[in-house]
Amino acid sequence: MPTITVLYFAAASTATGLTTEELPLPAPSESDNASCLPLSALADLLAARHPGTKLREVLAQSQWAVDEEMVDDPAQVDDPAQVVLRGGEEVAVICPVSGG
Amino acid sequence: MATAPSASVEARLDIPEGTCVLTYEPLDVQSIIHSVADDGAGATAVFIGTTRNSFKGKVVTRLDYQAYSKMAIKTMANILRDAHSRYTRSDHHTTPSDTKASSLIKSAVHHRLGTVPVGEPSIVIAVSSPHRKEAFVACELILEEVKMKAQIWKREFYEGEREDEAEWKANTGH
Repeated sequence: MPTITVLYFAAASTATGLTTEELPLPAPSESDNASCLPLSALADLLAARHPGTKLREVLAQSQWAVDEEMVDDPAQVDDPAQVVLRGGEEVAVICPVSGG
Repeated sequence: MATAPSASVEARLDIPEGTCVLTYEPLDVQSIIHSVADDGAGATAVFIGTTRNSFKGKVVTRLDYQAYSKMAIKTMANILRDAHSRYTRSDHHTTPSDTKASSLIKSAVHHRLGTVPVGEPSIVIAVSSPHRKEAFVACELILEEVKMKAQIWKREFYEGEREDEAEWKANTGH
């Protein structure tokens, strides 16, 4: 079963109590033989897995990184809504940063 | 209490423009300055960010840092590359063709992870250059870019408040 690895840092980690989570992708549908999950659907899925936590709020303020590339960066991706996960990706929740 | 993510590891990336480091060890400022030394440098600009003991009237007892290290280190390296390419000058004396040479010689950015007690450095940036103007400007640029982009997070702990309620800070808008 295809899965993705979700990495939680900072506020996302505090909200879930986790630093990492393996997420199975939804089963294939009739119209698509392979499991896939649009990145735009991931926030809802993760929030549903962690009810009663602040994760949804945190995700609303965060960006995604997929396989070490930031998404929602207009310079990199034409349409972030079109990023589709197929299994094996490392997806990190990038809350507002505070280094330096 | 909370364990650091396994992705928040030490990292080092050496590029032609300089060195980026994420470490749990205390930062050795003199060593970092020495790492950018060059006989062609007339100027070395250094920034040291230290944990301050207060925030909006509250007493800060410590800061904890964690990073998505494999992304943060690449982000830091790109920031150095960008700084070196921004500050260029035509150098007709050392290059046969009319190519732009960087006005910067070497840069280093070291960021500490884990607990950084009050008064200790959390970030050190050093930039060497033939002339002071570019060194100052690049040092500040590198700092501001790291604060804006690097996948590093800081948690602030206040005196008299519960550790599990300590806030993760955000550099934007605070």
